Amino acid sequence: MDSAATSFSSSTPSPVDYIVLLILRPIAAISFVFVFIALGWLLAWKLVLVHVPLVQEIFGLRKKPAKFKPQTRRISRYYNSINTRNSSAPGSGYPPVLVQCCHSSSIAIIKPNYSRVAISHLWSSLEPPSNRIRLLCSTFSQAMAPPAQSSRNPSPSQPSGKGEVSDLRSQLRQLAGSRAPGVDDAKRELFKKVISYMTIGIDVSSLFGEMVMCSVTPDIVLKKMCYLYVGNYAKVNPDLALLTINFLQRDCKDQDPMIRGLALRSLSSLRVANLVEYLVGPLGSGLKDNNAYVRTVAVMGALKLYHISASTCLDADFPAVLKHLMLNDSESQVVANCLSALQEIWNSESSTSEEAAREKEGLISKPFIYYLLNRLREFNEWGQCLVLELVAKYVPSDTNENFDIMNLLEDRLQHANGAVVLATIKVFLQLTLSMADVHQEVYERIKAPLLTLVSSGSPEQSYAVLSHLHLLVMRAPYLFTSDYKHFYCQYNEPSYVKKLKLEMLTAVANESNTYEIVTELCEYAANVYVAIARESIRAVGKIALQQYDVNAIVDRLLQFLEMEKDYVTAEALVLVKDLLRKYPQWSHDCIAVVGNISSKNVQEPKAKAALIWMLGEYAQDMDDAPYILESLAENWEDDAPEVRLHLLTAIMKCFFRRPPETQKALGIALAAGLSDFHQDVHDRALFYYRLLQYDVSSAERVVNPPKQAVSVFADTQSNEIKDRIFDEFNSLSIVYQKPSYMFTDKDHRGPFEFSDEIDNLTVGVESEHVVAATSVDANETSDLLLSTSEKEETRAMVANGSDYTAPFYDSSTPALPSQGQSELAITGLLGTADPGPQASTAIDDLLMGLDLTAPPAPASAPPPLKLNARAALDAGSFQRTWRELPVAISQECELGSQGAAALTSPQALLHHMQGNSIQCIASGGQSPNFKFFFFAQKAYEPSVFLVECKINTSTTKAQLNIKAEDQSTSHEFLALFQSALSRFGLS
Amino acid sequence: QTKLLLFPLSSSCSASFHSSGETQIVSEQAIQREETMLQCIFLLSDSGEVMLEKQLTGNRVDRSICVWFWDQLLSHGDSFKQQPVIASPTHYLFQVVREGITFLACTQVEMPPLMAIEFLCRVADVLSDYLEGLNEDVIKDNFIIVYELLDEMMDNGHPLTTEPNILREMIAPPNIVSKMLSVVTGNSSNVSETLPGATSSCVPWRTTDIKYANNEVYVDLVEEMDAIINRDGILVKCEVFGEVQVNSHITGVPDLALSFVNPSVLDDVRFHPCVRYRPWESYQILSFVPPDGQFKLMSYRFRVRKLKSIPLYVKPQITSDGGSSRISVMVGIRNDPGKAIDSISVQFQLPSCVSSTDLTANHGVVNVLSNKVPTYVRSYEVVLKLILLSYCV
Repeated sequence: MDSAATSFSSSTPSPVDYIVLLILRPIAAISFVFVFIALGWLLAWKLVLVHVPLVQEIFGLRKKPAKFKPQTRRISRYYNSINTRNSSAPGSGYPPVLVQCCHSSSIAIIKPNYSRVAISHLWSSLEPPSNRIRLLCSTFSQAMAPPAQSSRNPSPSQPSGKGEVSDLRSQLRQLAGSRAPGVDDAKRELFKKVISYMTIGIDVSSLFGEMVMCSVTPDIVLKKMCYLYVGNYAKVNPDLALLTINFLQRDCKDQDPMIRGLALRSLSSLRVANLVEYLVGPLGSGLKDNNAYVRTVAVMGALKLYHISASTCLDADFPAVLKHLMLNDSESQVVANCLSALQEIWNSESSTSEEAAREKEGLISKPFIYYLLNRLREFNEWGQCLVLELVAKYVPSDTNENFDIMNLLEDRLQHANGAVVLATIKVFLQLTLSMADVHQEVYERIKAPLLTLVSSGSPEQSYAVLSHLHLLVMRAPYLFTSDYKHFYCQYNEPSYVKKLKLEMLTAVANESNTYEIVTELCEYAANVYVAIARESIRAVGKIALQQYDVNAIVDRLLQFLEMEKDYVTAEALVLVKDLLRKYPQWSHDCIAVVGNISSKNVQEPKAKAALIWMLGEYAQDMDDAPYILESLAENWEDDAPEVRLHLLTAIMKCFFRRPPETQKALGIALAAGLSDFHQDVHDRALFYYRLLQYDVSSAERVVNPPKQAVSVFADTQSNEIKDRIFDEFNSLSIVYQKPSYMFTDKDHRGPFEFSDEIDNLTVGVESEHVVAATSVDANETSDLLLSTSEKEETRAMVANGSDYTAPFYDSSTPALPSQGQSELAITGLLGTADPGPQASTAIDDLLMGLDLTAPPAPASAPPPLKLNARAALDAGSFQRTWRELPVAISQECELGSQGAAALTSPQALLHHMQGNSIQCIASGGQSPNFKFFFFAQKAYEPSVFLVECKINTSTTKAQLNIKAEDQSTSHEFLALFQSALSRFGLS
Repeated sequence: QTKLLLFPLSSSCSASFHSSGETQIVSEQAIQREETMLQCIFLLSDSGEVMLEKQLTGNRVDRSICVWFWDQLLSHGDSFKQQPVIASPTHYLFQVVREGITFLACTQVEMPPLMAIEFLCRVADVLSDYLEGLNEDVIKDNFIIVYELLDEMMDNGHPLTTEPNILREMIAPPNIVSKMLSVVTGNSSNVSETLPGATSSCVPWRTTDIKYANNEVYVDLVEEMDAIINRDGILVKCEVFGEVQVNSHITGVPDLALSFVNPSVLDDVRFHPCVRYRPWESYQILSFVPPDGQFKLMSYRFRVRKLKSIPLYVKPQITSDGGSSRISVMVGIRNDPGKAIDSISVQFQLPSCVSSTDLTANHGVVNVLSNKVPTYVRSYEVVLKLILLSYCV
């Protein structure tokens, strides 16, 4: 035991041994193994691996074997010659001349540089002249790059990237001809840089030539970047764009369908008018390609071609090819693209060509719609939207067909894409418009999908859906009465969704759910966001005005008044005022609360006006009303004109009720009012003053007659407009709550849209119309943002010609708050008056039209058509009417040789036609082609005729397109017009 | 006399009534007018910088529209912010905001608004899917990919393919694996050489030649419950939305069927295009050929009319005296659910007049997230996060 212990202790190694044994040895062993392995790998790498292509690829060593491509060579030679041309030497195919030119020019430029020696040395060392040329081309163009660039692009507007751009240029040039290994990666980096500059907004169009030179590559990513670049700048550099045609055309014949498609797409996206001829060939073969992807691209290409040059597209007979594809292609995407392309082409052609119009009609014919519907499921979601849009225009022949289509489409309501769902709903609504009972069923059916769409999508989607829902609720108010809880706001929704939801809540409120809705709305009044709080109070007020049972609501509103938040008080005051006008029986409760509000806490003009109105109206119920009014009158200048008007009226009313107390206030108010800067206030003060001067008792009868409660406030939108919006379901009109012609017009009025033809037009009294046009424009832009109540006013004014409705408005509007029901009715009627252009109707006509007892009977064949000799129409209404009306008659007629001879200038015909009561609104053109827009108006009716007249004096033919508001008399008008036209030149 | 007074201008001037060409444009423009839907797409960063611009038609849209848009955004403040459809003087703009990036599309003609919005949402989804998250840097780094994607998704203003699986086959996403793969296969571009087979198959969302060693499908049911509880603790409104998310890795072209135990509770359903409608209508069975990978099979709305309470109770109490007030929110679990709850987070926003807060929670963590508006240091958004660990009944 002991010996064992000692032997153990004697053989026990020292700590050093331990270290050696346990640490050093393993380390040595491991490192030996690693070194061995490393050596092995090194050997393997050096001897074998570097030659394996896969490894080369991974480590980026690959030297790409330069494929021999004859075309590339030819093109690069071409580029080289262009290159020399760019560096200010005139290009030429003949070597001696080229050398000469290059030589002289390069020497001239290089002089300040030191490189001359080097170049001349190189020059002498090269023997064959062709090599010399090449050297010159490449070296000089590289050396010349910066000066050439600065001379060619001296514009100071170049952004700060100028230095980088020239840097890029020189690098691109280096890479252009090079076939060195890894050049593609370098190119890719460079291209990326160029495109990132382009993305930032730096103008890199000056690199166009270089980019094109570099674009000869088999690499797809490079190609894509290059296509992107070329597509972006080809329009700026139409000459250089020619260079790209070559390689794009070659790519269009590539083996790979992807490349073919991409090349075709970029080729058609160049949009340079004079390169159109190069596009037709590739497009033609693209449409016949056996790969669907290429065909899809080619179809869109044909459409792009149409937009660049319609005639080329039609000459190549692409519409027919597209039609064939559309009916026979197996790939749904191709069919969808064909459909959208043909729709566009035929739509714009149909105004000029009979055939296109027929084809366009054919699109919504029964066999075609059925063909599409049967294939509907193959289409992707966007294609389905397109088809459904078309189906909505289709009118089935009988009800069975209706039901077939609806059964087929029913499952589309379950689609994940909201756009498809809405498009389907539109089809359903359109199909059942004439069947009232089914229409109601459709409403029930679409309810659930719509509600799901509202609550499950992103806020942007629910915004769009909610605006559609709003429209539906207007049509069918009972629809969502039990589902009102879906429109309760969530705390994290963006405010635009909340606002729409509040509108929905007001719209769906009825007897059964008012209490819950108002309770919920009252919660929102305390919202952190002031805008939402205001909206919700207004919503409560609107509901109150809609309902008969207002008990609960009045209490709530009065609670608002006591909330001591100035914006809540302000909104509530306005509402209480409206409420009192409708339900005077509540005055007692309201006035008790309103009387406690200090006018100093109310700052907003509207609220202040409301408060003052109540003070005046219920002066006998509020003890200190005269004194409050007096203190307000003393601070006359602090208030807005609107408030001052109300103050004047209120003091007048108060005066007749409590004369002794109010006399002082009246004196102050009249004095201040008479010296007021604002004309309305001044006029009203003067009016009251004279009235009092004339006779106090009759003044009382004028100012303070017994009031009737307002039963219905005028609707802000006429039914006609609502119907019109409904017809445009699933479009922008819904979001803006007005028909599209009211807001899409202005797109085509912007200065950038004016075509060249304007230059040829005769300019008459230009200034007036410019003014008129801009004022219309201003109205329309501004009322996009106006509230609904103001919209209608502006619209009516625009529609009726602002000149003559304006006085009406001015006289009645200010009187409105203090007057009773009859005035309201008149303004309501005015607001909803016929929007058609009736500019020449005299005022008594207008009043007759307003008379409800005599509805304007349709003119049943008036014996001979008589025209109003003094018809007038402003350009804006002409334009709108022209857009709205269909072409009634389109006819060609003979002008007669004398007429043609007399037509030397547009003016001659104008005067002649004016003699026949046909006015011209615009004319243009030069011999032999003239174009006129005429209009005429019936003698005793506002109905107008619009004529587009194209006259060719060499063929003595006139092409007439007549549009008429009253279709029944259009033929008589045509006869009249033709006879007038044929008399031209005879006298 | 009245007549003359009312129309002094038009009646006397009609003799020389000649417009400067306004009317001419009516007909000419009708021909010139391009009916393409979207004209241009911009991507804006959260500082209003244009990160990317994709012109779709020949009528180029100038960048100044973005400047206009951004000015409007700044000047109108909150009410205007993020409103999806805006009318600018020349164009109609659609905007969708995701992760601080604004996707802006312009059009000049009438078009279905939801279509544009859906499309932009789809673009945003596809991009965040491709780039694994959306932010300014990631887009700037990969703008080539974004261009390529936009190119395939829309041609001449018409949406083409937005199906992520097909796009994935046309343009490989920029991740490490695909880089390695492309290097190994010797194809140095991220564009596949061959076109996806699916474009020509009758199942457009799936290619035929998918192979996996393990065939597996994961199905997730994600339900979201929206409830409003009034101050007395009574349930005012409750809605439940659910989604069936599927992650499928199956070889070949499988035909799957999925059935629910009690499908009658579903109020309204929306399906991925792959779901067949007839089997659902007659037997409430989801029969479908799934796309490869992750997708949303269906979403539904739940009938909750009979539901009287929700699994949680929330009781807020607000007391105030003088300058300070005390808010106490009590959140707990009703004793009816039989499932474990992993975490609960309580969020509320304090108005900007609150100057300082002192937040405590009985369980879990309290985070104070200040608003992004730098000028209002005093406004806080408070998240009271109570983490209850595996609470079981």
